[in-house]
Amino acid sequence: MTKGTIVVDHLVKTYKDKFTAVNDVSFTVGKGECFAFLGPNGAGKSTTVKVLTTLSRLTSGSVTISGIDVDEDPEKVRWEIGVVLQDTGLDSNLTARELLELQGRIFHLSGKEASFRAEELLAVVGLTEEADRTSKKFSGGMKRRLDLAMTLVHRPGILFLDEPTTGLDPLNRKSIWKEIRRLNREEGTTVFLTTQYLEEADELADQIQIISGGKIVAGGTPAELKQSIGKDVISMQFVSETEAKKAREVLNKRDVFLIENDIRVTEEKASAALPVILRELQEFGLEPAALSVAEPTLDDVFIQVTGSSEGAS
Amino acid sequence: MKAFFVHTYVLTKRSIVVLLRNPLTILPNLFISVFFLFVYTGGLSGIAQLPQFEGADYLSFILPVSIVSAAIGGAGGAGQELVRDLESGYFARLLQTPVTRLAIVLGPIIAGMLQLLVQTSLILGLAFLLGLQVEAGLGGVLVLLLFAVGWGLAFAGYSVTVALKAKNAQAAQAGTLIFFPLLFLSTTFVPLELIEAGWLRTAAVINPTTYLLEGMRSVLIDGWVWQPLVTGFLVVGAACVVTISLSVISARRAFSRE
Repeated sequence: MTKGTIVVDHLVKTYKDKFTAVNDVSFTVGKGECFAFLGPNGAGKSTTVKVLTTLSRLTSGSVTISGIDVDEDPEKVRWEIGVVLQDTGLDSNLTARELLELQGRIFHLSGKEASFRAEELLAVVGLTEEADRTSKKFSGGMKRRLDLAMTLVHRPGILFLDEPTTGLDPLNRKSIWKEIRRLNREEGTTVFLTTQYLEEADELADQIQIISGGKIVAGGTPAELKQSIGKDVISMQFVSETEAKKAREVLNKRDVFLIENDIRVTEEKASAALPVILRELQEFGLEPAALSVAEPTLDDVFIQVTGSSEGAS
Repeated sequence: MKAFFVHTYVLTKRSIVVLLRNPLTILPNLFISVFFLFVYTGGLSGIAQLPQFEGADYLSFILPVSIVSAAIGGAGGAGQELVRDLESGYFARLLQTPVTRLAIVLGPIIAGMLQLLVQTSLILGLAFLLGLQVEAGLGGVLVLLLFAVGWGLAFAGYSVTVALKAKNAQAAQAGTLIFFPLLFLSTTFVPLELIEAGWLRTAAVINPTTYLLEGMRSVLIDGWVWQPLVTGFLVVGAACVVTISLSVISARRAFSRE
């Protein structure tokens, strides 16, 4: 069965102004999988989502959703997917209940079915109490939850979430995560998530693909990705950026990365390398103000493969 | 086909709910129309003594102006609602559903027409209180409503076109400015024979509103005279064909995938 699957094969999307946002991207998402698409701003994440969700046409390559070709039959694809875009799309003059019922009617539910489904979803996202308030009075977190509920009305087998928690406070973020996990684990919904938060991908995803400059630069399970670095990371903080830059010069034979006042050195074995590093720094009168050694995180993978610290949370 | 009717019905209902929740978007327009009716009948009714009015009552002469102004206001709301949807992202959300595309545009238009009918009826009611007499009788009243809806539809097509093209509230608002030349560069206050400035007379001849006003005035003042009625409906029909076609073209563009 191909239901609930996403197959992207050599996808290319070039805009009218000749800008190629997505350049030869391929990946497969299995049914019930939680897939995270990770990348810095402007990497091509949202463009990929737009093509996959029928809002944008592809230039070449192919995309099939639940076995349906998005370019040939976008209408049919819309029945398979639920999409939460970066910006919520709510009519602020309608109440939560009205919006959900309207969405149900659009997906061919009868009036009765639509109102039943609305009640159900209000409970799922914890908005039963606020059901009859117009959405303009909602907080950012409540709008996101309502938006999510609206995409679930027709019980889509595949859920697309474009940066679902950007701009939310930690509490609201956790509650969205919980709901995504529930849909994924308990209802077997395939989840396609884009995010710039690495911990979000680490927390939720079975498979991660990292995109940068329109191309996929790394991929695998979170554990595999961390293992691909396979080394310890020594972080050293300096009192100023000038000192940190100096330290980078001193250590430039090693695998070093600089972010503001911080230096990160990747080493096979931190315990052996650390005394040597400190001695080398001392010779130049440099001493880190703080120091820590850690196993690699997705942050480190991200920085290594995209050469960017932009997406680091 | 069933989906089309259901979608049109639920989206029309939504537009009506939104209208009712924001009475302030309706009231100014209604106020202007009623204002026209009162102020012009009160202040200008004396000029109906002139022979060019051929004994017509000024109330009957000015009533169509009030109705046209109400119609344009009601119909302009359709475009404004679409702009709101474009700005809020609800439009994008609708595009991701299997909703019949036409229903997205028809919903606000139908709601606008209903608003227009209610406004026109209110104005007619007021006019009757002021002593209005319709020469062509009840059928004449129906003709008035038909003209109002036809003209509203033409203007709705225009406002939807502007909205889908501009995609922002300011530009769409600017688009409604056409209201003034459309309403006032015409036989608004006096018959064509009494317009002295040559340019204004030319403008009035070109302006489709003139034929609409004449059609409406004919049933109010002269009873059943076919020539102005036929011309009026032809002009309104042609205007509808043009603006609705334009709106369909711009809608198709807005719905197409980049």
